[in-house]
Amino acid sequence: MTIDQLVQTTLGGLAIGCIYSLIALGISMIIRATDILHFAQGEMLMIGSMAGLSSFWLQGMPFWLVLLAGVLGGGLVSMLVEVVVYRTLRLRRVSAINIMIATLGVSIVLQNVARLVWGSEPLRYPTLFASGGVKFAGFTVSPQLIWIVLLSGLIMGVLILFFRFTRLGIAMQAAAQDPDVAQLMGISVDRTTTYTFAISGMMAGAAGVLLGSLFFASFNMGFLTGIKAFVAATLGGLGSIAGAMIGGLIFGLIETFSGTLISTAYKDAVGMVVLIAILLFMPTGLLTRGGREV
Amino acid sequence: MRSSLIARLGVALLLAAVPLLQSNAYWVHIFSLALIGVILAFSQQLLVGMAGIVSLGQGAFYGIGAYTAASLAISFHVPFVLAIVAGGLLAGLSSLLLIPIVRLKGSSLAVATLGFAIIVHLVMLNEDWLTGGSIGMIDIPAPTLFGFSLGGEKALYYICLITAAAVFLAFDRIAHSRFGRALTAISQDEEAARASGINIAVYKSKCFLVAAIASGIAGGLYAFHSRYLNPNDFDFQKSIDILIMVVIGGIRSLPGAALGAAIVVLIPELLRASGEFRLLLFGVMVIVFAGAGSKGLSGILVDLVKYIAQHGQRWLLQKPWTARL
Repeated sequence: MTIDQLVQTTLGGLAIGCIYSLIALGISMIIRATDILHFAQGEMLMIGSMAGLSSFWLQGMPFWLVLLAGVLGGGLVSMLVEVVVYRTLRLRRVSAINIMIATLGVSIVLQNVARLVWGSEPLRYPTLFASGGVKFAGFTVSPQLIWIVLLSGLIMGVLILFFRFTRLGIAMQAAAQDPDVAQLMGISVDRTTTYTFAISGMMAGAAGVLLGSLFFASFNMGFLTGIKAFVAATLGGLGSIAGAMIGGLIFGLIETFSGTLISTAYKDAVGMVVLIAILLFMPTGLLTRGGREV
Repeated sequence: MRSSLIARLGVALLLAAVPLLQSNAYWVHIFSLALIGVILAFSQQLLVGMAGIVSLGQGAFYGIGAYTAASLAISFHVPFVLAIVAGGLLAGLSSLLLIPIVRLKGSSLAVATLGFAIIVHLVMLNEDWLTGGSIGMIDIPAPTLFGFSLGGEKALYYICLITAAAVFLAFDRIAHSRFGRALTAISQDEEAARASGINIAVYKSKCFLVAAIASGIAGGLYAFHSRYLNPNDFDFQKSIDILIMVVIGGIRSLPGAALGAAIVVLIPELLRASGEFRLLLFGVMVIVFAGAGSKGLSGILVDLVKYIAQHGQRWLLQKPWTARL
């Protein structure tokens, strides 16, 4: 492997890893706030991707508006699902495993709604970034990958600032740590939970636009990506925000490197082997969150 | 005890009569598939219902059983009963690979078994010399017993029914054995179970082993049932389907698991008329059934029967003139 290949593969791995991180973040936030294993998170990515594409079709909008449409699409659907489905189930005091199965049901529903609306063929995404190579520290790299890494980094940075410095962000963290005490302090836990779903849906929607711009958009693009993000979140430590970011990046790098070095057919398998190996030595993942057990 | 025996015999007779009532070959084929699903649901019920282990890897053992039985039947002309048993055994043997991860808990264990299922599916998809790769395995011979061909849809239905009944009886015994009680103890409180002298890792591994054997047998049946294997029949989606069966049917009971399996296999077939909306409706049903409560559909049915029994009795016992008021 030459230095040039190494740089290209690393950049590709980081880009796909950032996309996993964005979804894994949502999964981790939802687990912290509600203890729900959200298997429909990948569908928010798909909805975001489709919403972005539709906005491009309608108006031929510039890239940042397409991204915004994806963010809004993912966020709205995620919020809707929480308010209509999961909140109803929680009020009925349904057990955690039943809610997990309901998330799988939500995933089936969203996929099939998307298939009815956007058809079952993969849809070509417009080229959102200037194609052609960009010189970067002496290497010619794809601007698309650099944009994905930069934008994802920006989104995650904003999220960290949001959690640390805004009233709502701090309220959301408090509600996630101890819902009962947070409620006593005057925080509406229902509201913070809704916001948690909205924000995780928005991040997944952004990831959807970025992933779509790399490949295609299709009704079934979400589920497997969501499952991989789940694995990434577990790798980093379920429920840990930093763990989700690191887990996503590691998983993306492993996948890309094993794809070029070992075999493309088994690149998913390598990630799973690494996951199992890490869980054997660190049963709760690389980073653990304090407090309740997931 | 006697009433449950009568109920079991009644259900067995009813199921045995199904091919006589609906003799359309296509539907008998689907009913056999549902019975195979029932066996898979039993295996998941042992894990999730009794031991509290959420496994997302049963589809892998199902596939291992199917491919083993099919290879033995194609390459070595092994009789079908032996091939199915061998499928179950090899699936059980491969479950020993999970021993290192059984000490994980909850969602980590679930994701780790999902990883296992993904690895096994990739092996099936890519190892052409072993599994036929993405083309799969074709020309699986029809099952024969003592020179008689059992290839007809009805004969296969009865084979599946007998196997499902045998697995039910075996798992029912397990539930009432020392092993079953130990598993229940683990699901309720691992620390307390450990303190009572239950070796958690050994019991969990045994639980995976028994469940994998049952899934492998189901896979063997499937190989002779469809006579064509495609690796995508055994992807992680299959494992997820098996978990859905048990949860919507009712986690705590074997009949509940069977009911859930019947729903998951049959409803999409019944909805075929709704065309494009088929899976959409199925997804809505999964949400509704999952939201129906922790006892699942079987629990709701039992409650309903009890309610009718109580209120019906009261209504019958009422004097005619009060009833009229």
